[in-house]
Amino acid sequence: MSATPQPRVILEDPAPPTERLDFGWETAVAVVPPPARGWSSLGLAGAGLTVLVLGFALLEAGNFVAAQFARGDALGWISLAVAIAGFGLLFAAIGREVRGYLALGTVDRARAAHARGDVAALRVALRDWQARLPPERPRAEGLADMPIDAACALVEARTLAPIGRDAESLGRAAAMQAFAVTAISPSPGLDALVFAWRGIRLVRQVAALHGFRPGIAGTLTLLRRVAADAATVAATDVAVEAVLRGVLSSRIAEHVAGETAAGAVAARRMILLARAADEACRVLPRG
Amino acid sequence: MDPFSLLRGMLDTTEDAARALIGRERLRLAVTGLSRAGKTVFLTSLIANLLAAGRGARTLPALDAAVGGRIRRVALVPAGTETVPRFDPDAHLGALAADPPHWPERTEDFSTLAIAIDVERRTSLGGLLPDRRVTLELLDYPGEWLLDLPMLRQDYADWSAATLTRMRRGTRAEAAADFLAFIDALPADAAAQDALAKRGFTLYRDALRVCRDEHGLRFLQPGRFLNPGPRGEAPLLWFFPLPAAAQGGGLGALCARRYAAYLDDQRTAFLDPYFTRFHRQVVLVDVLGALHAGQEAFEDTAEALAAVAAVVSGGNWLERLLGAAPTRVAFAATKADHVPTRARDALAALLEHLALGARGRAEAAGAATSFHALAAIRCTEDAVATLEGQPFAAVRGILLNEGRGATIYPGEVPMKPPEPAFWQSGFFRMPEFRPPRLDPEGASGVPHLGMDGLLAWLLGDAL
Repeated sequence: MSATPQPRVILEDPAPPTERLDFGWETAVAVVPPPARGWSSLGLAGAGLTVLVLGFALLEAGNFVAAQFARGDALGWISLAVAIAGFGLLFAAIGREVRGYLALGTVDRARAAHARGDVAALRVALRDWQARLPPERPRAEGLADMPIDAACALVEARTLAPIGRDAESLGRAAAMQAFAVTAISPSPGLDALVFAWRGIRLVRQVAALHGFRPGIAGTLTLLRRVAADAATVAATDVAVEAVLRGVLSSRIAEHVAGETAAGAVAARRMILLARAADEACRVLPRG
Repeated sequence: MDPFSLLRGMLDTTEDAARALIGRERLRLAVTGLSRAGKTVFLTSLIANLLAAGRGARTLPALDAAVGGRIRRVALVPAGTETVPRFDPDAHLGALAADPPHWPERTEDFSTLAIAIDVERRTSLGGLLPDRRVTLELLDYPGEWLLDLPMLRQDYADWSAATLTRMRRGTRAEAAADFLAFIDALPADAAAQDALAKRGFTLYRDALRVCRDEHGLRFLQPGRFLNPGPRGEAPLLWFFPLPAAAQGGGLGALCARRYAAYLDDQRTAFLDPYFTRFHRQVVLVDVLGALHAGQEAFEDTAEALAAVAAVVSGGNWLERLLGAAPTRVAFAATKADHVPTRARDALAALLEHLALGARGRAEAAGAATSFHALAAIRCTEDAVATLEGQPFAAVRGILLNEGRGATIYPGEVPMKPPEPAFWQSGFFRMPEFRPPRLDPEGASGVPHLGMDGLLAWLLGDAL
């Protein structure tokens, strides 16, 4: 034991001044981005099909217009005008679809920025999202000058919470309609059709509250997200639902309302759907 | 356990069960540690690294592996209580990252924080269900106050006898010479005069301060004498231990009354709300500091740990049944970056011996225990020091005040309580180091040693 030296401090030369140790921690723990998955086979096939259909349609139309010009100038100009109008409308529709689809990306960008604590990106995403909101919707002002926690809380209180309440109202209205239709409809098949149509309309209405105008592709994406969030919302309600259904549907509602009990369940699903759609469109995760 | 505590325990147990049913568990983590053990820095690092892990950074790899990479989000959430100040990790981190940097000041009051960890469910159908949310409730408080816990089981006469026995021993007797002379000179029937009570209190408090600051002793009671907290030195504190012979007079009765009132106050404000019910416990110990402070400080730390553990970890069968006793207790030797890598296992092993009494209490209460060596914020790197022509493993860091690089040979770290010859080397004061370069926003957490292993063991099964 005596051979062991005593503890001691050995000072280094004062120059050059040393500020801090740097372990390169930020690099060592940095988030590894998931590998890019690239295009799926289905995506490649779809893209190929689209190129073929559009490309050959354009070529065919070009050839047809050229042939019409060969027959006579008047015929040629009329054909050209028809082709331009038709393709113009088609491309306008495609453009609107793409814009509607890309707008949903704002939600993903904002949520990703929130999750990784990227303050600058979150501010940009919130600003873009607020710019897209319907003009009558109250907005949170002065977000750039406040800490990001306060900005998120203000967006939540000033904009997201009222949107959530409006979504609930839309859900209740849709629930009333679904209840009424299922109560009086002559066939279960028609029930399902009406329910599906009303559900899609409800999802689009809720998306519009958040400033999104999804087209077909956007709606399909939204429905997929809603399906994922519906599981979340529904599971959170599972205990309440079980009690409600146990007490109301089977005992009281079944006897009192008969077949309308099923309608009551369908109506409740509409309310859940509105909440799930609201969840899917929220620019910030619920606290 | 009185009927009200029993009722409250039953209600809390019911609430915990209901929360578990809907995937919203609450986990109260008691971070216990004697003063200067590093509780505040531990909590700052814990929070910064958990938040970074929630953003996907690999700051806590062992915890991530223990939970199978299921951590999805981590966020600060409002604590359940509104009356207690909020622990401010951003301010602490900002001070550590500032130029010049500052380590947190001595904690003067409680502060709480709750942190929500969203984890994917373990089951194969977990993807269809919402994420579970485990809310970790944390508390920071002055470490000195922890030693008020053992006093709850003593009356004034017992406490006076035990304290004076300790005070008349070793370096304490030297530090408390004035106080001991004062009480020995008191007549048996001293009157209940505030001037006498205050004089006794002042001498006793000064003796405790010398014991803490100059001799590295830790078993110093009552806690608020050393750290009075935001309410300052109220007359409630004007009492001190008296020999049995002097307890019969008015001054003895006054001291006994204030002793009871003090304990009542601490129980109501500090102990009952925070130390009667928690699920996990981490006990932080500055083993190296105790080792460098000499044999008496080392043994004193062990005694203090055992005394605290007897109250904190030792739930009775009813408390265990109600889930009011911790199921896992982790002991951690802090400031492990002050010794080279090869000595860290020895540090954990030494802690195991040091905390033998505390471990026995925890295990008797049915809790699992484990021992770790950690540095909540790593400030040094391994180096080699050439001493008397021989190379020795050492650490290198930047001294806090001087800003100069220094290589520190911390001496041998024995794996068990050292033999008497070891203590010949005398007192060694470890210098304070500058924290490494840190991001003041804490986006990537903070460099640490062993935090992830500790959290994996402590929380892994609950996530």
